[in-house]
Amino acid sequence: MNELLEHGLNQNRRKFLSKMSLGLGGLGLGSLMVPGMFDGLNEAEIFSKTLPQFAPRAKRIIYLFQNGAPSQLDLFDYKPMLQRMHGEDLPASIRNGQRLTGMTSNQTTFPLAGSRFNFSQHGSYGGWFSETIPHIAGIADDLCIVKSMYTEAINHDPALTFFQTGAQVGNRPSLGSWVSYGLGSDNKNLPAFCVLLSKGKGNGQGVYSKLWNNGFLDSIHQGVQFSSGEEPVKYLSDPPFIARSDKRAMLDEIAALNQQSYEKIGDPEIVAKIQQYELSYRMQMAVPEITSLKNEPESVVKMYGPECLVPGTYAANCLLARKLSENGVRFVQLYHQGWDGHGNLPNELIGQCKDVDQPSAALIKDLKQRGLLDETLVIWGGEFGRTNYCQGPLTKDNYGRDHHPRCFTIWMAGGGVKPGVYGETDEFGYNINSLPVHVHDFHATIMHLMGIDHEAFTYKHLGRRYRLTDVSGNIINDLIA
Amino acid sequence: MSAPKWLALGRNALWILNPFLGIIAYYHEEIKFGIYFQWLGKMHPMLLHFPIVLGLGVAGYYVYRRDNKKISRFLSPLLIIHSLLATIVAIFGIFLSKQGSYNHDLIFWHKWGGISIAWMSWGLMALHEYNNSFKTHFSLRALVGFVFAGVLIFFTHKGAQLTHGSKVLSWPKEEIAKKITVNMDSTATLYERAIGPLLQQKCMSCHGPEKEKGNLLLNSPDHIRKGGKHGSILIGNNNKKAPLLERLFLPLSEEKHMPPEGKLQLTKEELSLLRYWVRSGGYLEIKMNELDQSDSLFLLAQNWMPSVPYLNRPTTIFPDLKAYTSNYCTVSYSYTGSSDIEVSFYQRNFYAHENLRRLAPIQSQIVNLNMQNMPLHEEDIAFIAQCSQLQKLNLNFTQLSADQLVPLKKLTQLKSISICGLAYDEKNWPSFFENAPFEEVHLWASSLNLPQIDKIRSTYPRINFTVGDNLKNDLIKITSPIIDQDSSIIASHLDINIKHFLEGTVIRYTTDGTDPDSLSSPKFKQTLRITEHTTLKTKAFKSGWISSDIVQKTFYRSEIHPDTIYFITQPDRQYPGNGTQTLIDYQLGDQNFSNGKWLGYLDENMILVIGFHQSKKLKEARFNTLIDNASYIFPLTAIQVAGSLDGNQFKTLNEIKFPSLQKDDINIENKSFNCPIPGEDSYKFYRFTLSNLKKLPDWHPGKKTPAWIFIDELFLN
Repeated sequence: MNELLEHGLNQNRRKFLSKMSLGLGGLGLGSLMVPGMFDGLNEAEIFSKTLPQFAPRAKRIIYLFQNGAPSQLDLFDYKPMLQRMHGEDLPASIRNGQRLTGMTSNQTTFPLAGSRFNFSQHGSYGGWFSETIPHIAGIADDLCIVKSMYTEAINHDPALTFFQTGAQVGNRPSLGSWVSYGLGSDNKNLPAFCVLLSKGKGNGQGVYSKLWNNGFLDSIHQGVQFSSGEEPVKYLSDPPFIARSDKRAMLDEIAALNQQSYEKIGDPEIVAKIQQYELSYRMQMAVPEITSLKNEPESVVKMYGPECLVPGTYAANCLLARKLSENGVRFVQLYHQGWDGHGNLPNELIGQCKDVDQPSAALIKDLKQRGLLDETLVIWGGEFGRTNYCQGPLTKDNYGRDHHPRCFTIWMAGGGVKPGVYGETDEFGYNINSLPVHVHDFHATIMHLMGIDHEAFTYKHLGRRYRLTDVSGNIINDLIA
Repeated sequence: MSAPKWLALGRNALWILNPFLGIIAYYHEEIKFGIYFQWLGKMHPMLLHFPIVLGLGVAGYYVYRRDNKKISRFLSPLLIIHSLLATIVAIFGIFLSKQGSYNHDLIFWHKWGGISIAWMSWGLMALHEYNNSFKTHFSLRALVGFVFAGVLIFFTHKGAQLTHGSKVLSWPKEEIAKKITVNMDSTATLYERAIGPLLQQKCMSCHGPEKEKGNLLLNSPDHIRKGGKHGSILIGNNNKKAPLLERLFLPLSEEKHMPPEGKLQLTKEELSLLRYWVRSGGYLEIKMNELDQSDSLFLLAQNWMPSVPYLNRPTTIFPDLKAYTSNYCTVSYSYTGSSDIEVSFYQRNFYAHENLRRLAPIQSQIVNLNMQNMPLHEEDIAFIAQCSQLQKLNLNFTQLSADQLVPLKKLTQLKSISICGLAYDEKNWPSFFENAPFEEVHLWASSLNLPQIDKIRSTYPRINFTVGDNLKNDLIKITSPIIDQDSSIIASHLDINIKHFLEGTVIRYTTDGTDPDSLSSPKFKQTLRITEHTTLKTKAFKSGWISSDIVQKTFYRSEIHPDTIYFITQPDRQYPGNGTQTLIDYQLGDQNFSNGKWLGYLDENMILVIGFHQSKKLKEARFNTLIDNASYIFPLTAIQVAGSLDGNQFKTLNEIKFPSLQKDDINIENKSFNCPIPGEDSYKFYRFTLSNLKKLPDWHPGKKTPAWIFIDELFLN
């Protein structure tokens, strides 16, 4: 009982303290820098009023996450030396004590595996692309390829968590949740953060919902996972005997009850619930129009590949991502599984590329021709790279590659990035030669493109302020046009 | 005690230092101080605090201490120290004064004021030590204290004004914009229009009438021409860059970069403007209308406006946008501190023209407007055409025509416009782009063909047209149709639906095992009803597309259910399936042999007996099996069926052999084997023997080892 009483008092006390929180000296400065700081708002509302902090280059993000870790040596990072040294052992000086996964730690030799595929140069900067991704090579002039990404995590779960939440331990908000928390949704009828899943035929690793989780942020910032079936969002239409106005009245009454409950107990989840009900009410109107793929002109269908009409495929998800993004969804995340080529990599890669190559390129082209590419940031990449040595038996045409966190490739397009190649790996494709980009740096740069200062954008939880980049991360200005 | 000795030393030193101070102060112009003296000069701002505090403290003490007898004996040494410090500080001050150039008046007063403080403190020390009436008369002491404190404060304040500007202590008030006068007239000189106000805003706080850093004044053309300590700023010596540009273009991290870090910096456009100006000769009298209109210098100057720092920005241009935002219209500032507003409309079903019109009060601040998909009318365009600062406009799929968009041409800032999906009219569209301010136009899906596009591109080379990919008519293969029926087993009949996601596809099918043909095979209409065992093959066709792959599915008919089943040979322990129920549970195992739906037999024949309560005549028995030769699962070699009336005596009815698997045959397959049962007799019991290959063939990697057979369903008809 005492707690409830205290809570009631706390509400007023909190408002009072928030006005005095900076002390007299900071009052003047505060009100200049943060208009509306003294409107009695909580931290979240303050951020939504003050972000972006400087002119954003991108307004929305589409993140094409290639789950399982695509092999950069067979796609973007051309290493003819490996082809010449095919079968020779990896020199210890190059490996330099890199931690091995349990899968290859039993191997006595580490035979180098040159890529089976031919590479060619594309684009005005002469970037190398393998023959398995002709469509992506075709849009080379729009791509900013970062070859020198690195991370510390060596297995999928920690690496995925690191990429999505900024830490290898779980329970942190994901990238999309941070963006949703900071910038909110442009279209109030759709969630700010949507997640679409698809699976390829290659060796798949699962994805987990903690990757689009809201962590300690408000539940309203959770990623909304769309279903892979014919109905991306189920139960959209009301039952035939309920009129829309009835629904509205019902929601109003429920909201009033929930509001009373919130004032008594103060559980923020109640507020999130009210907001989610409101959002789903509005989504009922908005979603059918957006997710209906039937009205797409044939030229668009051909550009993405006819698979784009089959729900649950990567192509369909790319098309849906474009539609969601152009309708104001702040962050759309796709996951495509099946890249984990520990064995039989070349054959699996061909299948994966067949699924992914054309739609990814089509997405960029589609955004560009509608005039949306310069304000939409598209990212394509996995959670780490693959080794230059073979896992399992090595033949001329077939090999497997293990996980390799020390260098891998990601590309970005649109949203203010500068096309070209950034960073260099050594000729073994094992170490980074210049311009390394850590996952934290990557996150800092993405935040910067969205107009957010990654060091100032924090959330206080359990006594300390957290941010996406935790305590590191430098903005890489050379990636920004 | 050695203290008195030092004090005496100090007291005597004053006899040297003070005259020295006087001399260098009076003859300061003739003297040039070396670098070590300059370094000492830099100590002045730090050390001056000590004599000030001490002096005020002493003066306060004089006022406070009425009782003559109780005057502290520390006061005397303190006064000596104070005097010493004051003199030394003043000397250092002289050294410092030679280093920068400061406002002449201020420097004069501060210098002589500081010197008088030093001498006064000397005098005060002497008074205190030697003058008796000073020691005994409180009122004299208090008066002296007051005067001394007053002088101290007055003249040291001048020092503060030297460093921080003469308005250092004036009460702060919001300056809306420093009164920068910009002459916008076309007859104005370039200096009056842009260079002058630019320098006034960004440079004059240190290079103006209040401070003359580096002896450089930038507040009038004459001063600019004159230059500063190092000479002219517009002309470099020995063919080097002009010093003005050199300092401006240094990176911010360099010490010599101008303006100094922490002060308002120049924008990119302002830097370009100054560079063009200097490079073209740095003329201060040239008029705006004398410059060529296409000259970058003219354009930059024409477009230049004073950049107002955020702190001074009046709040009246940040109206609260809550009143304009709704569920279907998002209105927000571009970023904190910007007065630029961005507006997006969503959900065309909820679009109302009033929502656009009520944005009228903030019309002039809108820079980015997204009206994609909204049903717009001419009144909406008329409204949009009044948004004078609009830079980016998205009108994709808004169903307008070229002549309706003409009012937009007068928006001078509108650089990017997206007009995808609008109907193209060869007559009107080209004239729409004439004299338009656009730099980027997105024209996709505007039903343009290649020659029309080339024509537009060549007519308006200044505009970047993005047209997109719709013009290529590639032939691609259409996706396969989907057989929408989960069950594969027909009880009496099954209704099958075949569907395809692309509109306008023709689906053709066959049930006889042949491949569907685009001309002769039947077209799929609503549903397809099948009653017999059927292998359904279907294919999709659409004009402009290559036909799809064939999709096939086999449907099994199972009319009759046995009442009992009994295994004579048991399945292997690892693959018991669901016991006898496996054969009649309508659950077909797929190609995964370990999913629990299969019965597996290793190196053994499967022998089972089915029984009926009433004798039944069976026509055929069909077994669904799995073949997966990589997993050592091979097809049946033979099926033998025998019938019995009592369950003991069995009469062989039929034996049918099946071909063995060759090396090149399919690796994984679900195959059904049919055993027809001839004759007209009805039996109560039927015994089936399904023969196993037993030993794997030589071509198999596991040769000579036992083989498996996997069975999961029995169909009786």
